[in-house]
Amino acid sequence: MAIEASGVVMRAWPRRHLGKLFLLIGLGAALLYFALQSPVSKALLQWSPALARGFAQNIVISLVAIAIGSLLGLLVGALALSPLRGLRWPARIWVQCFRNAPWLVLIYFTTYVFPFELRIGGVYFAFPDWLKVTIGLALPASANIAEIFRGAVASIPATQWEAARSLAFTRGQIFRSIILPQCFKRMLPPWMNLYAVITMGTALASLVGVHDVIDTAQIASNTVNKTGFTVVIYLSLLALFFAYCYPISRLTQALERRYAFY
Amino acid sequence: MGHWLELFVHWASGLGLNYGFLLDAFQRGTLGQGALTTLLLCAFTIVGSLLAGVALAAMLTSGNPWLAKPARVFIEVTRNTPTLVQLYCAFLVLNMLLTQAVGAANPLTPFAWVVIVISLHKGAFHAEALRAGIEAVPGVTLEAASSLAFSKRQLLWNVQLPLALRFALPSLINNLIDLVKMTAVASAIAVGDITYAAIMIWTQSDNVLELMILILGFFGLLSFFVNCVGRLLEARLRMPGYGH
Repeated sequence: MAIEASGVVMRAWPRRHLGKLFLLIGLGAALLYFALQSPVSKALLQWSPALARGFAQNIVISLVAIAIGSLLGLLVGALALSPLRGLRWPARIWVQCFRNAPWLVLIYFTTYVFPFELRIGGVYFAFPDWLKVTIGLALPASANIAEIFRGAVASIPATQWEAARSLAFTRGQIFRSIILPQCFKRMLPPWMNLYAVITMGTALASLVGVHDVIDTAQIASNTVNKTGFTVVIYLSLLALFFAYCYPISRLTQALERRYAFY
Repeated sequence: MGHWLELFVHWASGLGLNYGFLLDAFQRGTLGQGALTTLLLCAFTIVGSLLAGVALAAMLTSGNPWLAKPARVFIEVTRNTPTLVQLYCAFLVLNMLLTQAVGAANPLTPFAWVVIVISLHKGAFHAEALRAGIEAVPGVTLEAASSLAFSKRQLLWNVQLPLALRFALPSLINNLIDLVKMTAVASAIAVGDITYAAIMIWTQSDNVLELMILILGFFGLLSFFVNCVGRLLEARLRMPGYGH
């Protein structure tokens, strides 16, 4: 029911507001035409490849951080559900530590405490700053994912456990074939939400000297040194992050509505 | 005090941690000043964010599209962009424009900008929680209140908000703990909070690990305190049938 209703709204939206949409496009095109002749937009155009490279760095950091965080978080979450106290408590402590620490402090921590190169079997591997920031973001991400996982497992009605046990499933079998398939559906919206939050967290990378989009914007604003350009470049930073995170948040909301009835 | 500090430094050095800077009056003073600044920052932003949250929630639920639409746009933009970028937009752009307009008479310090930006940022999150709370107030309660000739403002202030506060309290406390952690971002524009003070110390004496443990402990204590106050409020404001 809910799925059909939201589909209808999505199809009806552009048709209902066709006039406004055209007006907006026309206005945008006119603005663009006039703006392209000003020196500010020329400078912006000149700097946009560098900005794009910086933003790509942000996205790489966020993707690697969510990947590491998910793997680690599922492991910690699984440990937190263990019936053995010796396994459960370390997982609890991990979650409490990394959920309650400010992200910025964790990023400083990983940047300054880890060495700049690693020696594995006589070979030196460079340990670049962006990777350290990624680990700094992956640690709180893993704690959050562990909690999301634990919450998803806890949200499965107890009757399902009882029904499965009465059919002589073992604990492992119940997890693998009954509980987990339902969990992944429930975990998807909060997981995507966390991804959006991590993407916004990558902005902190500029504070420890990673050449990300904010660092690039600061260099650009200092190099061009014009009031108009400074205003435009910081606003375009806002626009860039908004353009990346807003669709994710809308999709999350749509998924939440869709799975709300299950 | 000094005696205990010395004991602690000695004990920590046994663990391989160099807390010697705590015995230096100047560095200890810097760190103490930073901790005080963080506390002040938290106090101001908690009050500011709650005020902003109530104002935005009132706009959202007013039923007037000229108020609700701008509030919605503001909330979506705030929730989907990094705090650091917002802080830079405010401090490096708005502050620059303000300074160009009024010169040296610019009344807003970096501290004030951090308070404004984080208040508005967390205000948007509070507003969402409060809106959900306001919408959860049962229709019959509102009908009963309007049959007693409550005006729209009285309705919001005396009926909807007190109940919405109870519904929203758990997520408000969650937001406030997040806010406490977020104040660390103030160090980005050289406000002398505890993070900034720690950076100043470790660039001189290379004791990052020790300072990190200290900062993590400080923020842990602070969020624990906010959590305790939240639990206390939840217990105090508890009404049978409303909230959990």
